Amino acid sequence: PQNLKCVTHNLHKMLCTWDVSSRGRHGQTDFCYTTNDLTPQVCFKTKERRVEIPIPESSITVTIKSSGAAFATREFVIHQKDISFIPITPHILSLMPDFPTSTLNLKWSDNGSVFPYGLDALWQIQILRKEAMEVVTQVTYYSKLTHEDAILSWSWTSDMPLECTSHYVKIRCYINATQFAGPKDWSDWSPEKVIPGKDTEPGGSGVFPLDRVVPVGSDLVFCCVHGEDEHIKNMTYGSKSYTIMQLSRRSHAIRVLNASVSNASGTNVVCTLENALEGSVVFVGYAPDIPQNLSCETPNFLVIKCTWKPGKPSGLYGGRRTKYSLFERTSGKNVSCEVNERESPRDHVCGFPVLPDQKIYDFILDVSNPIGQAQSSLLVDITQRVHPKAPEKLTVTGNNSTSIQLRWFINGSFAETRLLCQIEISSSHSERKLHNVSIPGRKSSTYTAQLNALRPDTKYQLRVRCSAADHFWRWSDWSRGLEQTTSEAP
Amino acid sequence: MAAAESPSAALRRRDLCSRGIRLAGKMRADVVDLLDAYVEQQGLDASASVAAVEGVPLAAVERWDEQTGTQRLLENLAAYRAFRALLAQMLEEQREQLGEADAGLGRALAAVLLQVSAFAYHLEELLRLESRGIPGEEGDEEEEDGPPPPPRLSLFEQKLRGQAVLRELAQWAVRSVRDLRQLAKPSPATGAAPGLAESP
Repeated sequence: PQNLKCVTHNLHKMLCTWDVSSRGRHGQTDFCYTTNDLTPQVCFKTKERRVEIPIPESSITVTIKSSGAAFATREFVIHQKDISFIPITPHILSLMPDFPTSTLNLKWSDNGSVFPYGLDALWQIQILRKEAMEVVTQVTYYSKLTHEDAILSWSWTSDMPLECTSHYVKIRCYINATQFAGPKDWSDWSPEKVIPGKDTEPGGSGVFPLDRVVPVGSDLVFCCVHGEDEHIKNMTYGSKSYTIMQLSRRSHAIRVLNASVSNASGTNVVCTLENALEGSVVFVGYAPDIPQNLSCETPNFLVIKCTWKPGKPSGLYGGRRTKYSLFERTSGKNVSCEVNERESPRDHVCGFPVLPDQKIYDFILDVSNPIGQAQSSLLVDITQRVHPKAPEKLTVTGNNSTSIQLRWFINGSFAETRLLCQIEISSSHSERKLHNVSIPGRKSSTYTAQLNALRPDTKYQLRVRCSAADHFWRWSDWSRGLEQTTSEAP
Repeated sequence: MAAAESPSAALRRRDLCSRGIRLAGKMRADVVDLLDAYVEQQGLDASASVAAVEGVPLAAVERWDEQTGTQRLLENLAAYRAFRALLAQMLEEQREQLGEADAGLGRALAAVLLQVSAFAYHLEELLRLESRGIPGEEGDEEEEDGPPPPPRLSLFEQKLRGQAVLRELAQWAVRSVRDLRQLAKPSPATGAAPGLAESP
């Protein structure tokens, strides 16, 4: 017996192997060992040339007696430092693809129960790709063993769609057993797990990714999967041809750097084959900006009108457009806003119902599109944000040589508000004058006022606007103008 | 030999044919404009050869000159009914994909759809004139469970189908003009327009 080597996979037991000359290969072997703390020798017979025995604290004496044609006895003293520590080959529990995001989700067990608590473990994860199984990336992942079997998980996003070609993953581990004196090494690589590409599917074809939405500035890889006997002529992104990379016999790809915003119908990626045309559409746009100048007011205490500046257009339309919703924290009510990006690109509006017995509104404006989302918030007391509609049906209800009575209508529920209205009066003889009147508000009602100390037989131009008397916020627009001539002096 | 038409029916048919010819001519001009705008807006290659797309009626026909008048009308009617459904689907996809981004194209598409519907009705008028039964719409028989849902196409396939639909519709408009001219021709013997069955 010679070349005795011992390896441990779990720091408890070690597997010892040895060589024998060819004559003694088939004979029986007597294997004995004893650790030097005076425990009795342990012996057993074996036909194998490997045995598993406990790891010694410091050293162990081994006696190997091979019988048969090549009778020989040999004694070995093995110190812990002579024992190699190679962790058990890890096994991948699951490898799940997420095609829309081209992400691989890996789960494996760290076999922690086998090892003492608290050891540091390193995991090397290798991603391979293409028919030639080229290494795409190798990552080191750190974990701490807890003397229990823990399931570790890790994700990786590919720079190309997973459909383009098969992706393989394998892992190995290294355990930093500082207390263990012997040489330590990486485990073997685990068996590979594979996510097959479309180029392995019979009849699989097409351009990938299919109809995806990506941010401006992205670096993109598009691939064309085709039949084995089909010859690819070119691949274009938009109107430009790109250099083709081969992934496998049935898959070719192009790489587009720093993609710019696409037009409304998206950018076409076209793969021209000898006898076919395959294609996909990609929508390159912007994540929504944080809405600026969010402001809310009520014209009538029935609805709250919020406006904001959306920032730069997202470049996304239809089902992919940026969507807005107004959430009010106190009531928990949520309203989705219909916004026409084309008709009012710079100022957006959304209506929210005035809720019974609620003055303070804690708004969150949520903005999202397939690329990202943003928020703005606003705490507002709507009694301090009254911006009435322009008064309507301004009419003269009476007049004499020195006074005019006016009446007008304001739509809205102002019963709990005092209104301040301003009447503008001008004539060819006098400068424009403003008369303020404070009136108790009512629900969708008419209001009246009288102007005195006017000149007889004089044509006057009149109009009115209103606002909230308490906590002034904004004047309404002016009503339509009115002309009235005072009667002649008696 | 079918009995010759009454002079008033022949007059009515010739009037319908000439109005149909004008309608088809206008439709063709609008479809060609729409096709140009569509190709540009969808980022397609106007010169690319587009394979025949399932469900799009082909205008090309063999032995065109041997067709009877009824065959011409029935084939035209079937084609424009198919185009009506295809254009309606395109319009819906357009709204879904672009929303208000290109309302102009949406309006042009809706206008052509209207013309196609009008032309189909016109063809039905011609068939009624000959007391020909109007063939039911393809979906009529499957009313209970409704027409089979069209296969879910990718966006690029939708774009290509749209291009194929408009291209073929433009071809059909040309063929319809020729068909209607054929129908409007007076019969060499009596000088009156022949009954539909006869006209080669």
